[in-house]
Amino acid sequence: MSRSIGGLWMQTWSIICGVGVFAAGVVSLLLAPLVGSSLFTSVWTVEPLTYIGGGLVALGLGVVSLAYAFPSIRGVKSSAAVPSDDVADRWRQLTQQYFDLFNHDLGRPLRRISGQERELRAVLLSSGKSIDPNVLSLLEEIEMQTTNFRLMLSNIQVLVDLQGPDGQVHPQPVEPSEVVRRIVDRYTPVAEQTMKEITWWTEPSEFGLVYSDSSAIEHIVTNLVDNAVRFADSHIEIKLTRNLTHFFVRVWDDGPGVSPQYVQHVFDHGWTPEVARREEKSSSGLGLFIARTLANRWHGELTLESVSGPGQDHHSEFLLGLPHGGHEHVSADPVQ
Amino acid sequence: MSHARASKHNMTRKGTILIVDDEFDSATVTAVRRGLDEEGWDPVVVRPEANWSIADEFEAAAIYAIEERQPDGVLLDVRFGDQAGERFKGLDILQRIVERFPGLPVLMFTQYAQGPDRDTAVRGALTREAPVDFIDKLASPGEVVLRLRRLIGTSPSTIPIGSRPDCQILVNKDSRLVYAGTEGRMAPVHEIQGMKFEIFRELAEAWYHSPGELVTFGRLERYSDGEDPRASLRVRIREIKVALGRALGVRFSAGELIINARDQGYRLLPPSI
Repeated sequence: MSRSIGGLWMQTWSIICGVGVFAAGVVSLLLAPLVGSSLFTSVWTVEPLTYIGGGLVALGLGVVSLAYAFPSIRGVKSSAAVPSDDVADRWRQLTQQYFDLFNHDLGRPLRRISGQERELRAVLLSSGKSIDPNVLSLLEEIEMQTTNFRLMLSNIQVLVDLQGPDGQVHPQPVEPSEVVRRIVDRYTPVAEQTMKEITWWTEPSEFGLVYSDSSAIEHIVTNLVDNAVRFADSHIEIKLTRNLTHFFVRVWDDGPGVSPQYVQHVFDHGWTPEVARREEKSSSGLGLFIARTLANRWHGELTLESVSGPGQDHHSEFLLGLPHGGHEHVSADPVQ
Repeated sequence: MSHARASKHNMTRKGTILIVDDEFDSATVTAVRRGLDEEGWDPVVVRPEANWSIADEFEAAAIYAIEERQPDGVLLDVRFGDQAGERFKGLDILQRIVERFPGLPVLMFTQYAQGPDRDTAVRGALTREAPVDFIDKLASPGEVVLRLRRLIGTSPSTIPIGSRPDCQILVNKDSRLVYAGTEGRMAPVHEIQGMKFEIFRELAEAWYHSPGELVTFGRLERYSDGEDPRASLRVRIREIKVALGRALGVRFSAGELIINARDQGYRLLPPSI
């Protein structure tokens, strides 16, 4: 900001000086026929005022032209030398500010609605009276949409981050079991509403630390668990394991599975099972796309193994594998 | 036979949680207060004396309340008011709390549970090794309670299990006894002692900190013996279920109370309504 103000100041002064010189040149040219000969004949053999005036006019025009042209030349040069880092950074900050505003202002009415819903639910349950199924269904829908809204906002947040110019990843010590615990805290009530159960465990039971990104792990696994809770028949399992180089999060559900012809599209931007069935989408189809993009950014992998069709064995199993040693300052491509 | 009376409202209170939020009368805060109260905490809401004041008054009132009430944890909003200077006032208050009361667990209650501002605040707090965590303002009261349980760290000496008034179970770590019965009238289950008590305590503590967490065979087999520790464990689990079922007048099936998940371990599944 200070640099652009300084540039504007310099340009204005250059124009003022240029116009001043130009005006002085014009005045000299006007005065030359009137006073030039009488003034300078005794000094020089040649009357110089005409030449001085002509020179000043040319100089003034030159200064003014350069003052206008210089910023655009500088802009072209800087954008060629540094690939619009400043612009991208400012754009990112602006996007983040708008996102925060959106998050806060759109979240406010939803917080009021969900707060009232939770109060109403508590009062109804403590009364001991039977609750009208329609009322219960409405309360559950509000709770479900509150969870969806939270995930949607965090997905947008990650998209903002991924689009940014900072292609570096910065590993920090993370306790993956605590990350999974938080996600289970969040989804257990949602699963219980639809009579589903979440079970999770770690192997070894004292899992320890890894060097990775807590937000990225939380975001990837949240999307996987959200997906599993959405499609499971009754059970969701989350298992954390590790080997010498990587740690793994396996998210399993006993849902209908994904048909083999669609498995390759599951991580596509905007794909949901409803797309294949030509039905109204119940989600944005961004979650798994973002999850895989984040996994790749952290030099990991996210894969799906699924069995679909009739029979008892239908299920989906997402396996996230990330290096646990961390990669310092690894560059990564932003979302295309 | 001795009887212990316990219900959610007359059981020993766990301690005090201070709530610092400029929207202290909102439905969100009311729902969280209710959740904390049902969990056994005493929620105390900070209300500055001057109605017109916002950020600075809250800061002073919060510090005063911590000195006065000596809470076990603080639930602190990030945003106080809508003016630019008050947007992250909660982080200033957090800084003062961390400086003056190091070790006091603080759960930041905010819509900025993710993103660069949260990361900055976390880094700032982590450098002081303070027990600080962030939770979304849209989190359910149950989620807030679970997060506070872990942030505060210690599990209570008494863990009540289950939400059915006619089917209450209580683990008392001090007396090393498990109680069972109906709400307000519970009796010790003397069959659950020694290793069986330790197994049930492990399961109860895992459930208390994270209701879906499975306790792996590896963790439980230290409470079993013989040539086949897993078979020994299986027998003890069955005996626990039978003893509790007898005390409660019910019969727990394989998919109830204590379940074996995928042959990896056991988890508690409290009787629900």
